[in-house]
Parts: sequence; structure tokens; C-alpha cells
Amino acid sequence: MSTDPLSDERAGGIVGARLGRPPQDLLEAAVVLEAWGGVRSQDALALEAALLPARVEPDAMPARWDVEEEEEGRESIVAEGIGLLVAIVAVATWAGPLSRQLGATTLEQALRVALPLTLGLQWTIRSRYLGRPSGLRCLAEERGRVLLVLCMLLLALALAPHVGVLAAVLVLIWVGGTLLARRGWGLVYAALVAGEAVALAHHVPAARSLVGLATLVFWACVAAVATAPGPAPTQAPGRLRRALAAGAIGTLLGFLLIGDHSLGWGVHGAFPGLALAPSVLGSLWGGYYLWQFHAAVPRGLRGVPLAQANAQIPGGPAMRILLGALARLVGVTTALSLLVLAAAPWTEGTDRPSLFIAFGAVALMCLFVSLHESLGFTRWALTVAAVSLAVELAIDRLVHVSTPGVALAGAGTIGALLALTPLIGQLRSPGRMLATALWIK
Amino acid sequence: MTPPTILLTTEATYPYAVGGVSSWCHLVVGGLPEFAWRVLPIHAGGRRPRPLFALPSHASLAGRIEVWSEQLPRRRWIRDRLHGGRPSLPAELARALIGWHADHEALVDALVWCRRHPGELRATFRSLRAWDAFVEGLRDALHADAPEAGPAPPLDAVDAATLYQRLYWVARVAAVATPRVDLLHVTAAGWAAIPALVHQRLHGTPLLLTEHGVYVREAYLAAARGRAPAADRFLASRLARGLSLATYAAADVISPVTAANAQWERKLGVAPERIRVIHNGIEPSEACSAPPGDRKVVSIGRIDPLKDVQTMLHVAAEVTRQVPDARFEYWGPPTNGQEAYARACEELRRRLALGERFRFMGSTPEPLEVMRGADVVLMTSISEGLPMAILEAMAQGRPVVATGVGGVPDVLRGCGVVVPSGDIARLATGVAMLLRNPSFAERLGRRAHERVRERYTQRHCIDGYRELLHELAGGAVAAA
Repeated sequence: MSTDPLSDERAGGIVGARLGRPPQDLLEAAVVLEAWGGVRSQDALALEAALLPARVEPDAMPARWDVEEEEEGRESIVAEGIGLLVAIVAVATWAGPLSRQLGATTLEQALRVALPLTLGLQWTIRSRYLGRPSGLRCLAEERGRVLLVLCMLLLALALAPHVGVLAAVLVLIWVGGTLLARRGWGLVYAALVAGEAVALAHHVPAARSLVGLATLVFWACVAAVATAPGPAPTQAPGRLRRALAAGAIGTLLGFLLIGDHSLGWGVHGAFPGLALAPSVLGSLWGGYYLWQFHAAVPRGLRGVPLAQANAQIPGGPAMRILLGALARLVGVTTALSLLVLAAAPWTEGTDRPSLFIAFGAVALMCLFVSLHESLGFTRWALTVAAVSLAVELAIDRLVHVSTPGVALAGAGTIGALLALTPLIGQLRSPGRMLATALWIK
Repeated sequence: MTPPTILLTTEATYPYAVGGVSSWCHLVVGGLPEFAWRVLPIHAGGRRPRPLFALPSHASLAGRIEVWSEQLPRRRWIRDRLHGGRPSLPAELARALIGWHADHEALVDALVWCRRHPGELRATFRSLRAWDAFVEGLRDALHADAPEAGPAPPLDAVDAATLYQRLYWVARVAAVATPRVDLLHVTAAGWAAIPALVHQRLHGTPLLLTEHGVYVREAYLAAARGRAPAADRFLASRLARGLSLATYAAADVISPVTAANAQWERKLGVAPERIRVIHNGIEPSEACSAPPGDRKVVSIGRIDPLKDVQTMLHVAAEVTRQVPDARFEYWGPPTNGQEAYARACEELRRRLALGERFRFMGSTPEPLEVMRGADVVLMTSISEGLPMAILEAMAQGRPVVATGVGGVPDVLRGCGVVVPSGDIARLATGVAMLLRNPSFAERLGRRAHERVRERYTQRHCIDGYRELLHELAGGAVAAA
């Protein structure tokens, strides 16, 4: 061991050579000298402050607001989108044969039960598992509990009189679709529901074929979860309470979709199922863009000096991502709506622009509400969903117009405005939002 | 009569991880059944950890603290809504933990508030007023002038938000309720100390700190050897320093496992009369067996940059040039999170063409058996407290060549070869010399064995803690 007295100059040389930079303080210098310089701790700890660099001017870094788009997983969104499109079209084509075989009223009632429950379950599962990087693996770890809850729920639903079994089967098929899409098996799911459409078109008994499809989807889900790739999750699943709140939001949004009686779910052939496709695909792309929010906001804030950490900067990264998502949602929904309208002569009854506007407004509201939920503003998200539903029910019962979807459009617009206003307040100060909302769960 | 109760707080070690600190905890807890032990482990959130040590019947878990998880503390629905939180809390924590001249009293006051208002923490940290005050507080803390502190690196908004989140977790850890006990025994002057600091302030319970490594030193070392940006390094090491200094200020007694740690503790402001060194202990074999004479050099330790395995590989290359039939065995798994380092070591082994002359053997449940199979034991660490691996080698009468870090020079005084860390040539010379002179190596091993029997037995260790714990807990019980 070296016992020579150590000059500050020599010590500075050793530390600088090891670190490739000046030490941050005398403690760091002492640690480096002891660990890598072979200097005894008492000598290392006796250093003088002359070793340290002069004070530099802080806040010298340039501000930077670049939002680099996340390229990772870009291929999967295309596959997911195609899968979803095929699935929606296929499910829409079920409406005619199902109402003929089971009766329009039965189908309509089953849809009214199944839609809210499906959305509620989808939001719950997404909040607790699928919205996380290793979500499927987290789900795999709790598969027994999840399966038990799901089975009990579906069993209870199936026991409901008249439409219970049909609603339970539809819920299973649709919730399963979410899982399969997250696993990257969206095309497999699309193939399954398209097969069902072909079977129904060829007069295969609806009850038997739907149960068969539900069984296939169920086992596909089991396989998807069991074979989920990636390392063992280091993150625990999301909070149960928050997942339940998310489920409540999803359920309210589901009620919103069925609250407008002018839509006539299942009664008029592919209408309005097909009209839903543009906004769903728009939401998918917008939501996918928004997915990078958690990573892109901190990336965009890198280099912004501490002095501006709580400044209001409307053109900041959070706002840019929201606007990007908004542009994608509106653009895709509008373009596809026009396309479906153009194809109206060949589809059954999808020729009412008001319907596309209504679904577009709801998609917009859902985007904002889901952002509120992911930022931890669950109560506000719930409030917005509840107020929108109240508005829809009020319009539906009090205002009598012949145009379909007016109540839904009104509710969606009110909801979107209610959700957007506080969001703007939050997002225009990205540093605050990152620290207080995004990173304090 | 009810035995005095001790709360043992651990950080990422006992009973969920294997290693020197966990072994020590198990030894002390198991060896002192006259106390009732409550163990409060702090661990990273995620999957529920599985205990790797079975607690003896006089010990039980007092819960566990999960850091970085999303689970929230219990909330009192009415009371927590009536209060408006404490928007100044993050700023107070930043000033007290990041500032060079920290106010420990103010820090403990803030932590006590967290314990009394667990349900308000989330709302407090989500408040915009708290963030604005925090930014101001952090800027104050950074601009405080101290000649030995050096200039703070420029921080950006993300650095500030990262620290804000860490302080939220400091507050969350402080908020966790602790059971009524007669004595607090903290095993690291960092996160494990937080619940104890609050408990001590609330109940006046004596606090004993045992430092295996020096917490702040290890945090600085981790920052220095990592490739993190300057701001990350700065904040991580300052936070560790803040927690350590607050623990030092509060501890009634600090019991480092080696006198080398005591030098750091004194430099960091601990009065010498509050320091009582109690060495780690091991059960030595009755008589030491003769080395096998296979020219085998053994090392036991995790594959971790702190062990400087790459220097060991270079030493092996040099030794095998001088003693061609020398063989090296490295026993131990990579540390969690250091898999890349382990791969780099393997790559270096290939590049140095060491082949079968240096083998990574993986974990061993029988370290003493491994040590008995060695002719020389080698340790190249850049940081240590009082390493169990060296005690294990000495307990089997094996000669040791080691870097002179932490308590190593003390423990190997007169019975081992100690060279400066990173000095490949001298390490290689030491190993080669012992391999070529088996009779000298054997003599050195015998001296090591005698030294362990004299100073580093488990009985010495347990007796030291028994005396100290009775002294502290007895005082507390009498005062109560």
C-alpha cells in the first residue's frame, strides 16, 4: 500500500485520469483515490478543496423541445389496425343473420348489455395489465385469479333471462379480441370472426357457431397469455382500485354508446356497427400515437433548464403529442367516414353522416378521457363520462329529432370539451405535468 | 419478563437476498435469542419477494416496505380530505437532503409529518404548488456555497422531476408505521434508516447503526463508476449523503464492522465516542488442513464491478505466464442488473485466451469447501467493508492476496498479501510468489487461521452485539 504523502496536484491527476472529468466534490475525489488510486482512506479524506474545479455557470444548457416519434412497434400497429378493421366489418355483417335467426329485439337487448360490460372489462384489464410494458406477463402471473373473476362474471351474466347467454358470449369474444390484439395476434382474431361471418351467411345455427367461436377465442387467449414473450415482469400490476375506477369509466362509455335510442343497435343490418369502424380505427392510431406519451414527454423535456421546469410552454412536448394524436384521430375518422359513406349503396343503411359525426365525437372524448385516466385524474375522467351520459339521456328523452345519433353527438361533444379544458391547463406546463401527474402515480 | 424488542431495518438484503449483510443479519438475529426481533425489510417494488432466510422463532417480520410500487398508503377518507396537504414538503426534503449544509432537524420534522399524514402524501406531491415550491427549494439547495462541495452540474426539468419522484418515495417510506420497540437497529445509513429516524423522534427510542460498507461512500463509488449523466450522478450521491448524514446525526451508537469505515464516519461528522467497531465473525475450523497443492487460485464473490473481476482476469493472465499450471476459479453469480458486466468479463476471458485456466463456476452453497480446495485466495475488490470471503479463507487456513480496501488491511495484517487496488503487477506477483512457495503460503495460512480464532469468531461478534444491545435497550427499558 502507498504511504507517500499525497499532494493535491497528484491527487487531482489521479482523480481526473480515472474519472475523465473533475470530481463533483471532495467526497467523490476521496472515493476515487481510495478505490482506484491505492490511497489509504485517511490520506484520501484529507484532501483540500483546491482539487475541485471553479464554480461554473449553471443553466448553460440549451432548451430543447424535440418530440422524436417512437418508431418501435410501428409494424404491429398496421397488423393491429388491419385486424381490427376486418373484425369490425365481420362483426357488422353478423347483425343481419343474427337478427333474422334470434330476433331483432333479442339481439338489440344483448348488445345493450354486452357493450357496456365489454368496455368496462377492457378498460379494467388495460389499466391493471395491458397498459404496461410487461402487461401480458403480469396477467400471466395472476391468470388464475383473473380467470376465476371472468368466469364468475360471465356465468352471472349468462344466467340473466332472455339475452344472458348471447351477451356473455359476445363479451367473451370482444374482450378476448383486446387480449389477442395486445399479443400481436389481431389477424388471427380477425380470421376467427370473419369465419363466423361466413358461417352465419351460410345459415349455420347462430347459437352453436357463436359458442364455438367464443370457445376458440377463449383458448386463443389462454395461449396468448401463456406464451407472452419477454422477461419476468419487474413491475407489479396496476392498483386494483384504479383498475376498478377505469372499469367504471369504460362501462359509462359503453352506456353512452347504447344510450341513444336512435341508433337502433342490431335492428338495421350492418348499421350502425359499420359506421363505428372509422372512429375505432382513428382512435386506434391516435391512441397508439399517445402511447408514447410516457416516454416522449421526458425525452422532450431533456435539456430544459431547471429555471423553466415549471414554466408554461404551450408548444411543449406534451401538447405536441396530444395534437399529433388528435390530428391522426380526426384525419383517419374523417377520411374513412367519407369512404364508408361513399360505399353506402352497397352496405345496409350506413348512409347517415350524423352517425359518423356522433361516433367521431365520442372517439374524441374517449381519447381525452383515457389520457385523464392514465395521468391519474380518475375522478375527473369518471365525472366527464357520467356527465356525458346524463347529457345523452337528457337529449334522447327531451329532444325529438329524426336525425340518428344527435344525442350521442351532443354527449360526445360536451364530454370532449369538458375533458379537454383541464387537459390543456395540465399539458401546457409539461415540466409540472411530468413531475406531479405522470410520475406520481 | 418480556424480552426487549428490537426493530431491525434492512435495505435490499435480509431476508430476501443472499450476501454478506444478510448472513450477518441472520447470525446476529439467530445468535441473540434473548431479544425479540422484528425485521422490517425495504425492497424494490414489483413481484412479491420470497424470503431466502427462515427467521428464527424469536424473530418475525414487521411488514415490508415496497419502494417504487404503485400501492398507496391507507387513506383516512374524512381526515385526509380536510387537510390541505403540505405543499412545502418536497422543497423541505430537497433542501435537507440535497443541500450541502443540511438541516437534519428539519428533515426529521418533515419525515414525522409524513408518518402522521400518510394519506395526504400523494395529493401533496401531485399539487402544482408543491412542485413550484420544490423547484425554488432545489435551486436554493444547489446554489448554497461550500468550498468542498464543488459546483453543481446544470440540472434540467427531467432531473428535477426524477428527484421529486424519489423524494415522494422518501416520504412514502417515512409514512410506514413501525411497531413499538425498545431499540432500533439500522443496517444501512440510507433508505433503511428512514422509518427508524421517524420512530426515534416520535418515541425517543435509541438507534444503533451498523455499517458494513459506508453507505455514502458506496453511493459515490457507484456514481463514479457508472456512465450516468452528471446530474444523475450528482443527485443520487447527494441523496445518499443527505440520508447518511441524517442517520449519523441521529444514531446513538454507530458500530462499523471495521475500523476503516470508522475513518469515513468520523470525517462525515460522527464523534469518535459514538463509534464502536464490532467485527464480522466466522466459525473457524478447529485445525487448518494443508493446501491441496494443485496451484489453484480461488475467489468467491458476486460478479460485480465493485469486485473488479476484470483486474482479476488480467492478474490471471499474468500469473499463468509465470506459473503455467496455475488455475483460477471464480465462484459467484452476477449481481442482479450487472449481467452486461458479467458478459464483458467473459469476453475479456476469451480475449486473454485464458481458456480452462480461468473458470467462472457460478454459485456455491459450500463456500468453506471451496476455500479448502484453494492454494491461494485472491480478492481484487475496489470497495469492501470486512469481506466474509476473506474471513472464510482465513478460517480454513488459506493464504490471501487482496487489495487494500476498506477493512482488508486490518484483517490481513501480518497474515496476507495486501496491494493497492487495480495494481495488476503486484497482485500477480503476490499470487505467483505464494504458488511457487507452498511452505511460505502454508505458514501464512496458519497465521491467518490463528488471527481469525483470536479476533474474528462468531462468538466475538455476537458477544460484542449482545453487550451493546443490552446497554442500549436496557437504558431504554429503564427509561420507560
